[in-house]
Amino acid sequence: MRQTIPTFIFLLLFFFVIAVATSGVSVVSSVTGEQKSSVMITGYQVNPEVLMCNDIGTVTVTVKNMEPKTVNINEVQMLSQGIKVLSDSYFNPGSLGPGGALSLTFTIKATCPDGIYYPKVIVNGEGVQSIRYSFPVTVDSSPLIIGVKDVPEDIFRGERAKIELVVGNSRPNNVTAVKIVTEDKDVMPAEVFIGTLSADDSEVAAFYLTPQESGDCVLNFKLQFKNGDNYHYTDLSVPLNVTESKKSAELILTGIEVESMPGMNVYKITGDINNAGLEAANSVVMKVCDAEGIEAMQPYKAYFVGLLNADDFSSFELNVKIGGNETQVPLIIEYKDEDGILFSEHEYISIESTQGIASTGELPVPMIAVVIVIAIVVIGMIAYSWKKR
Amino acid sequence: MIEILTNPNKFFEVKKEEEVSLKIPALIVLIIGIISGIGAYFMGGLTAEMLSGTLPPEAQAFLSFIPISTAITAVIVSFIIWVVFAAIFYGISCIFKGEGKFKRTLEFVGYGYIPMIISGIIGAIFIYNFVSTVHIPVVTDPAKMAEAFEPLLKSPMMQLSYAISILFMLWSANIWVFGLKHARNLTMKNALITVAIPVAVYVLWTIYQMGVM
Repeated sequence: MRQTIPTFIFLLLFFFVIAVATSGVSVVSSVTGEQKSSVMITGYQVNPEVLMCNDIGTVTVTVKNMEPKTVNINEVQMLSQGIKVLSDSYFNPGSLGPGGALSLTFTIKATCPDGIYYPKVIVNGEGVQSIRYSFPVTVDSSPLIIGVKDVPEDIFRGERAKIELVVGNSRPNNVTAVKIVTEDKDVMPAEVFIGTLSADDSEVAAFYLTPQESGDCVLNFKLQFKNGDNYHYTDLSVPLNVTESKKSAELILTGIEVESMPGMNVYKITGDINNAGLEAANSVVMKVCDAEGIEAMQPYKAYFVGLLNADDFSSFELNVKIGGNETQVPLIIEYKDEDGILFSEHEYISIESTQGIASTGELPVPMIAVVIVIAIVVIGMIAYSWKKR
Repeated sequence: MIEILTNPNKFFEVKKEEEVSLKIPALIVLIIGIISGIGAYFMGGLTAEMLSGTLPPEAQAFLSFIPISTAITAVIVSFIIWVVFAAIFYGISCIFKGEGKFKRTLEFVGYGYIPMIISGIIGAIFIYNFVSTVHIPVVTDPAKMAEAFEPLLKSPMMQLSYAISILFMLWSANIWVFGLKHARNLTMKNALITVAIPVAVYVLWTIYQMGVM
């Protein structure tokens, strides 16, 4: 009996404590459930939709107040293990009225290998139930593909050839500002702009090559595009073999004569220009190239030959002033084919170097005769004066 | 005046009796100086063009003074040479006990310059002809001017000009012989020696310049 009473008292106290504790929790729980509000992430947007490795993009999340009263948002932060978050968390971005929404943007960088990553957005607020929201971000480094669609089998020097390139988008998202550029001076145009290229779409760009030299050459093209705000490049090299045309106009200079003119190192270059090709050369113009120490002079800074049919020739004249120790005069011969395509050829005319003063005038025979006459007259006068003495 | 060319002996014989006057001889020398000045102007222009590469753009204006200054110098030098020649003749004739004033010698030497007017005109024409057809290189180093001018001095046209000047110098020397004879009361032989020595030196120097020697 002595042992039963304390045991009873202990059990009574135990149950009392349990009962008090249980009733206290239910009160607190009831109070908390009444005060905390509910907010939701109602949407997110990743730009660009699919990132490439090392691309920088943005994620915009929309936080919405689902309660019929105003709530204060204390902090919104983004966490990720694969994707690097470049921007800071938002602290005290503001209050959300009943049904109000807030869009918050984070900057991210894809410093990870290709794959799908799930960054988390954490929202904490005053009287707001904290939420964690994960969303997928895809990283796919597939580049745009550029290739040759069509190239003529035979490419001739001085003749225009059409080269078609195709650009394909193997990426799962659209890319913008797509363009193909080349620095080759013989290729026109230097740049073809395609613009936006949808996923799994392709576009064709045409270039025109007018090679000025024969032999093996490589055309280099660069494909440039933007994924979001990130520029990407892909190079394409097209090896070609340029051969001499069998029909085109072939201009040859013959009978070149270089004659000095009065003045400081001014020369007159004359000769014949011949068309040894099978096609006519239109609007043939001969000019003196701009070069250091070389200056074209009036009246023949340039010489217009005009139409030069096959197996035809024309004479020309150019005036040039040579400075310093130049020994060659560069000439440029421009002409057009029947399609109006401009061709140019370079020729070099050798000029004899004149380090000192040199007259091209030969000693004229009449001058010698005059001197002889003078000598006779002088000797005669001297003899006559002595005779008179 | 034409008598001085055809019969200088008689011309000076008559002149000897007149008062000494340097007006006409000075005028003759002035004419020669002007003609030489024209030739020197062309050569000065040639030199200026050659030197155009050695001066900075702001100093290019100075090049335009070269032809004018060269021409003026040529006129002045003509008078100096006149006096120098007369002095040399006077000095040499002293060895042969010549008599007569220096002023008279100066006057007669001045008359002896008349043939050189013709050679001066011919020389100026030759220089103009040469300069107008020449290739003028731009000399970057003024020290190489002589090297650049070497072909000029040895060109056939210039050698022809030298030959003509020698011929007319001999004609003048012939007149000077008669002039010295009367101005300094010398025998023909002594007058000939007096004139021959400096003229021979001048001719040899000219031939040396021609590059023959």
